[in-house]
Amino acid sequence: MSEKFELADFVSGYVAEAEDLLVLASKSLLALEASLRKGEPNPRAARDAFRALHTIKGLSAMVALEPIVSIAHRMETSLREADQGGGRLALPDLDVLLEAVSAIEQRVRAVGQGKPPAEPPPALLESLDAIKLAPSTTPAATTPAASLSFDLEPALLARLSPGDRALLHQGLAAGKRAVQADFIPSGARAKIGITITQVREKLGRLAEIVKVVPVVLPQSGAGFARDGRTPEAGASNGGAGFARDGRTPEAGASNGEERPAGLSFTLLLLTSASLQELEKVAEESGSKLRQFAAPLAPREASPPGDDPALFDERADPEAEIGASGSLRTGLVRVEISRLDDALERLSCLIVSRFRLARAVADLGATGVDVRNLTRILLENARQVRDLRAAVLHVRMVPMADVLERVPLLVRGLRSNTGKLVNLMMDSGKVEVDKAVAERLFPAIVHLVRNAVDHAFEPPAERGALGKPEEGVLSIVCVQRSNDRLELSVADDGRGVDREQVARRAGRAVPRDDAGLLDLLCLRGLSTREKATTTSGRGMGMDIVKKTALDLGGELLFRTEPGKGSTFVLRVPLTITIVDTFSFDCGGERFVVPVSMVEEIVEVDPAQIVNGPSSTSTSHENAPEPAKPKRARTGMIRRRGRALPLLSLSEVLGLPSREKATKALVVRRGGEAMGFAVHRLLGQQEVVVRPLKDALVDVVGVSGATDLGDGKPTLVLDLVALGNALLDQHPPERGAAA
Amino acid sequence: MNTLHVVFKVAGTEYALPASDVLQMDSYAGATRVPGSLPYVAGIVQIRGAVVPVVDLRMRFGLPPIERTIDSRVVVGKHGDRPVGLIVDSAREVLKLEAEQVQAPPEMVLREARGLIKAVAQVGSRLVMLLDFSKVIGEE
Repeated sequence: MSEKFELADFVSGYVAEAEDLLVLASKSLLALEASLRKGEPNPRAARDAFRALHTIKGLSAMVALEPIVSIAHRMETSLREADQGGGRLALPDLDVLLEAVSAIEQRVRAVGQGKPPAEPPPALLESLDAIKLAPSTTPAATTPAASLSFDLEPALLARLSPGDRALLHQGLAAGKRAVQADFIPSGARAKIGITITQVREKLGRLAEIVKVVPVVLPQSGAGFARDGRTPEAGASNGGAGFARDGRTPEAGASNGEERPAGLSFTLLLLTSASLQELEKVAEESGSKLRQFAAPLAPREASPPGDDPALFDERADPEAEIGASGSLRTGLVRVEISRLDDALERLSCLIVSRFRLARAVADLGATGVDVRNLTRILLENARQVRDLRAAVLHVRMVPMADVLERVPLLVRGLRSNTGKLVNLMMDSGKVEVDKAVAERLFPAIVHLVRNAVDHAFEPPAERGALGKPEEGVLSIVCVQRSNDRLELSVADDGRGVDREQVARRAGRAVPRDDAGLLDLLCLRGLSTREKATTTSGRGMGMDIVKKTALDLGGELLFRTEPGKGSTFVLRVPLTITIVDTFSFDCGGERFVVPVSMVEEIVEVDPAQIVNGPSSTSTSHENAPEPAKPKRARTGMIRRRGRALPLLSLSEVLGLPSREKATKALVVRRGGEAMGFAVHRLLGQQEVVVRPLKDALVDVVGVSGATDLGDGKPTLVLDLVALGNALLDQHPPERGAAA
Repeated sequence: MNTLHVVFKVAGTEYALPASDVLQMDSYAGATRVPGSLPYVAGIVQIRGAVVPVVDLRMRFGLPPIERTIDSRVVVGKHGDRPVGLIVDSAREVLKLEAEQVQAPPEMVLREARGLIKAVAQVGSRLVMLLDFSKVIGEE
């Protein structure tokens, strides 16, 4: 249950992801523009752009890059309308959207260089707002709240979102005072039961918690404070908060292992209680108080501080206390393509090993003593197998690493929603393939966001219901059998109301949780009236379900009104994603990796030259268990040379009634050969699941995939098939095993 | 000892597998053939996201094929971590079998079944054959 992460690691991941999404967003917008110029709507492009922005917004909110969030949020709003409006937008609006994309790009680049992103130009935001057909549902940045000034450190001030400001303004207008409370967790305090959770709970009884900001001071000479003892620690000016004055000898004495990172929390509160009352409670919980805005009498902001505070993204103080401060040493970051490359070379090795084994067997058949060779071959087989396992192992990442960004996300959500959430994570020792991890994470983000935004009741409501004010969000990973990950995201919130969801979806009330899940996964369904900056777009659940299915897994769900809900993602630990051509052949659909195909050529049956053949081509009755069938080899001309051409349906023993129109050319060693197929369908990336079971482990089939029809489609290995065909000697033709 | 068994029919004969070895049952809507696999391997199907090979029990038993009906089922059993589906004519019963109901099959039956049958259970007036799942799926 420990979460640890490096801000620097996270930022590079964020930048990489955001850049990819931005490329997608501009591509989609350009496609949309091209269609619109022709006077055609393009709902697909609008939707793709919308999804990209939706994810950018979510990612940016996680790292608290408010300027990016505010641009992305506006873009998302107008694109959603474009999506719902069937992919229509006015052309000038597209200019604005593309300009906004480049504004985000600039800011992402700044973040990548370690600079804070600039505030978005107001003119751009205005133009984006103007795209909207409906009045804004976003927390308005132009209310009097924006002009309020607070006596807060600039760094803290910068953390106030327009929503926070609006909330504070409301409170102050209602005669409440705004108070800042600083709390420094420590091992010693934790021992006597004082943690941020308790502080929140206690203060929460007297005041409304607007925002909880974890703060860490920069350490001289180091990028990010792991150990918060800074030289300036003692020289703080009493009023400015940030808990510097709260530093006690015990804090200085503790090392990173005991209590990492001079981490403190600043709580921004609204209260009608007297300062004395509040002070008493603060005293008990070891926190310091300071009023930063009086009821209806906003004061000048304090003079700028000397050093900007850095915000540690760790969110769960309990988990940090006692967490070991081990450094990540001995790690190498490797591009995934290099790992793919290694795997591919290994596949070649495996193929040549098969051929070697066959050659040895042939040699043995001539009476030569090959016992020694056979022994070596056996050893070699074991080594190849181990090597394969090792290469696959390299691609595995611990689920703990995948989940390390979740605390940050939850922290952001906590402060945005004012809900109290205790995050419990247990990822055990489960490891998944990098490709699975990358696809899984956005789904986890959606589930967590939904839970905090929709499932948990506000603290007061929970209190009234007799529940602990702090909701529990637990994320647990378990390995099922030896190749499945089961990840559950459970909350103890309000549960999902079947009737309400059915009403909103305009469908019949589902009978069970599975039926309810189907409704929740309908695209565009939202159980919320208003969109918020975090969720409530009705986006998400369909993506979560799609993720599970794409990975070859499933999404399960159970809920109990008043008690909470649990979503379970069950997916394979490993997958391989491959770019493939799909085609029809012998009445069936197949795919073949693009990397295997050297060329696709047109086939005109009239141009096929057939040589003498001694092979029967009839495989209609009860296909035999067999090596690939020996099919009749024809020839076609290709760039002035004869290309051997085989009918793939014959090779596979499928009825071949349709005539071939295309041939897939593969190269086997130095020689090219063509496989004639009926019809080419297209090119797509697919998730390949290996067919490991001995019953279906055959030459020429490397795995199965789902092209979206719920039925498995075979992934062919035409190179292996070609090898096997050429290794078959004509004299063996009649003796199919 | 009494154990729950899933009972299914193939060509009028009743067969059973311990319920603890059965992962699930599904209707059968055709499999994707895998060229080059053994004749009794009907292909692969996708069940709850997982790709599972399926064995056509009629073919496995050397019986003539029939047109599949809405009663056709895939019974997914497991051997260790290995899930394999069996296509059966129908399946709709779960039975509790007492130890005394179960007996070794007659030698002749055993031989003719090529080891695919483990035992025979007497259920009232019916005889139910207990399958040797590992043999059926070609595990030695």
